Amino acid sequence: MFTTGSKFLVGAAVLATLSAIAYGVTQDGIMGTVGLGSAAVALWFLAGLNLYTRDNNYWADEIASIEQAPAAVPAPANSVWPFAFAFGAAVLAVGLVTYQAVFIIGVVLLLVSGAEWTAEAWAQSASADTGHNANVRDRIANPLEFPLAAAIGIGVVVYAFSRVMLFLSKTNTVIAFAVLGSIVIALAFFFAYRPRVPSKAAAVVIGVGALGLIAGGAAAGLSGEREIHPHETTSGLNEEGVDICTSPDEFEADLKASQSVSATAAVAATITLGSDGELSYDLNGPSAPGAVGITLPRSNPNNIIFQNRSGEPRRLSASLGTMVAEGSTNEVPVLMCTTLVDDGGAQNMTMRIDLPSITTPGGYSFFVPGVESAELNLVVP
Amino acid sequence: MNRRVRIAAAVGLAALVAGCAEDAPQDMFQPAGPNAQSIYDLSVPVFIIAGVIGVIVMVFIAIIVVKFRDRGQAIPDQVHGKPTLEIILTIIPALILIGVAIPTVGTIMALNDTSDTECVINVTGQQWWWEIDYPTQSGCGSGIDQPIITSGQMVIPIGTPVLVRGTSRDVIHSWWIPRLNGKRDMVPGRVHTNRIEADEPGIYAGQCTEFCGLSHANMRMEVIAMTPEDFEAWKLNQTKPYESPAEGTLAAKGEQTFISQCARCHQVNGLEDADGAPIVSRPDLSVYSGAAPNLTHLMTRNTFAGAAYNLLTPECRPKVWNAPSETVGAEYLKGVTPDCLNSVELREWLRNAPAKKPMYADPTKLEATDGLTRGMPNLALSEDQIDELVAYLLERH
Repeated sequence: MFTTGSKFLVGAAVLATLSAIAYGVTQDGIMGTVGLGSAAVALWFLAGLNLYTRDNNYWADEIASIEQAPAAVPAPANSVWPFAFAFGAAVLAVGLVTYQAVFIIGVVLLLVSGAEWTAEAWAQSASADTGHNANVRDRIANPLEFPLAAAIGIGVVVYAFSRVMLFLSKTNTVIAFAVLGSIVIALAFFFAYRPRVPSKAAAVVIGVGALGLIAGGAAAGLSGEREIHPHETTSGLNEEGVDICTSPDEFEADLKASQSVSATAAVAATITLGSDGELSYDLNGPSAPGAVGITLPRSNPNNIIFQNRSGEPRRLSASLGTMVAEGSTNEVPVLMCTTLVDDGGAQNMTMRIDLPSITTPGGYSFFVPGVESAELNLVVP
Repeated sequence: MNRRVRIAAAVGLAALVAGCAEDAPQDMFQPAGPNAQSIYDLSVPVFIIAGVIGVIVMVFIAIIVVKFRDRGQAIPDQVHGKPTLEIILTIIPALILIGVAIPTVGTIMALNDTSDTECVINVTGQQWWWEIDYPTQSGCGSGIDQPIITSGQMVIPIGTPVLVRGTSRDVIHSWWIPRLNGKRDMVPGRVHTNRIEADEPGIYAGQCTEFCGLSHANMRMEVIAMTPEDFEAWKLNQTKPYESPAEGTLAAKGEQTFISQCARCHQVNGLEDADGAPIVSRPDLSVYSGAAPNLTHLMTRNTFAGAAYNLLTPECRPKVWNAPSETVGAEYLKGVTPDCLNSVELREWLRNAPAKKPMYADPTKLEATDGLTRGMPNLALSEDQIDELVAYLLERH
């Protein structure tokens, strides 16, 4: 006797085999064929295993229940899932020739409706009692449905909330957040102290609130985000031609810089400006004995930590030769620098240098604006 | 003897013999320096302990499987709990593990201590070759007064603890010269250290040991250990000024071909354009890793393409690689002479590099890297250009 499981596995194995052949003949690249071929092999193996261990077990055929005529089962109720499944397939097909987003929606629809349809159909064959069958369906589907629905609901509310916050001005976001938070807390207190308030009333309040938030989010999303002013950076100012790296003065970038540092990156060197006005350095592992400066690999991000122990706010700058300015024939210095670092503080500077130091007469160097004695060779081989 | 036992013995013997090799340059069981020796001294007793335990366990399993197999006998009385036996079987493995852990931790800590190194060499991995540069320093013998940059083959003086300071430009690579020390991953954005030291002059082979893409298996490297005198001679040669080929020669044509075809990625220090301005390569504009091997002294090393191919002919290679420790340095310092140049493979490489070494260099398939190649592309050079380049490169001593 061929069980349903065997039929399924054999069918899937045939489908995978045909797909592997079709893919191999029609498509470039071997990986798809290898993947489908592997699936086919695995499915054939499982089908064989099932045929041998399950279908071959003739004792299973002899149990009385199989030989008895099944009880009359009421016709299943109407279901929306076949329609949703077909709709999902149509959306998926449209998505294939239009937009990726439509395709993804089609896939999601297909998967969700397929899962729901399968659970429902499976539960309908559990017994002749439709009420019991509904319970069976809920037991199998609810543990998946509830968290998924909750995640989607929370996601929609959070997304709508974020749209509202990004639409409002910086000051109004603070006010809106405070007001909304207060309302939530007030309602929570109200329902907590009035346990006799019908739960439907709470559900209506929460539902109306959520709908309002979603509507607000949609409106705010359509209106667009407020203008967000990015903070200046030393490299940004450098590109604009502002002389920050050669100046000991304070700029906006020194106060509100949005420089980014990779948390996983290691330090290539730590450079310290001492109270004597000299730059010293420390490398990972012992320094090359008698080295005349720091050697950094070319075309690779290097993290340099600058420690200021001079007693005054100072920045570390790197002189990296010159380049022809965009749109002109003038040579301009290539500079990089940290923001002003307070005495006792430290800051990271990530440097990627694409040209070797031999391209610049005198080579590259680190220096500290305002401290003439603070200079250190930088070699990029 | 039972037929099955004989077959099993034959299979076991064949498996054992399969582990033997006459030419095994990457054999950690032939340590050639104090770091590798300490790993060896740890590995052998641990291997013996593990082997003995493994054999005991397997023998017990075999006895139990055979002696107590199902022969239709009644199921014996089931006994649950034997505190004395359980305690003994817990304490013994714990003691064994402690016994193994103490020397293991000690060895790891000793290997990580790089404070005694006398020479610093930077290593940068990228798909699929190693860049090696020597920063200026007073160490490494009599010192290095200008940076030296090479690739594929690291030259070190014997008896000198060398600090390898490494990183990567693209993906994770792993540096491992089995006869000199354990392996060290080289992670982009991080700096890792590894101490190596060779007792005797020789060529010690290694290979990238972290899967790094298509040509991972072709990313090799060697450490050439020399006597201090030979090492000084090597350094002197690496810092000698550039010499242009004699005018009117094939090599002179090759210089122009190199400038037009190769110099955009490969640096040759001292190479100048017609106006006398130094030519600076910009591999960052063409190659994903942002680097390509420096070819200033290509013919002083004897491999190319990530040390995957030999610059020496099959006849000449053994003279260097199999040379006794007394002469290996001198043989290596000869570099690649015209009669020893493996021009066949060099020409094949220049003709179509991706055909010699799998690389992501097809210009039609570089969307993911914004048109930057991973490895050397096919430059569609003519046979004349290849002849010229070979002549030019042969003079890069």
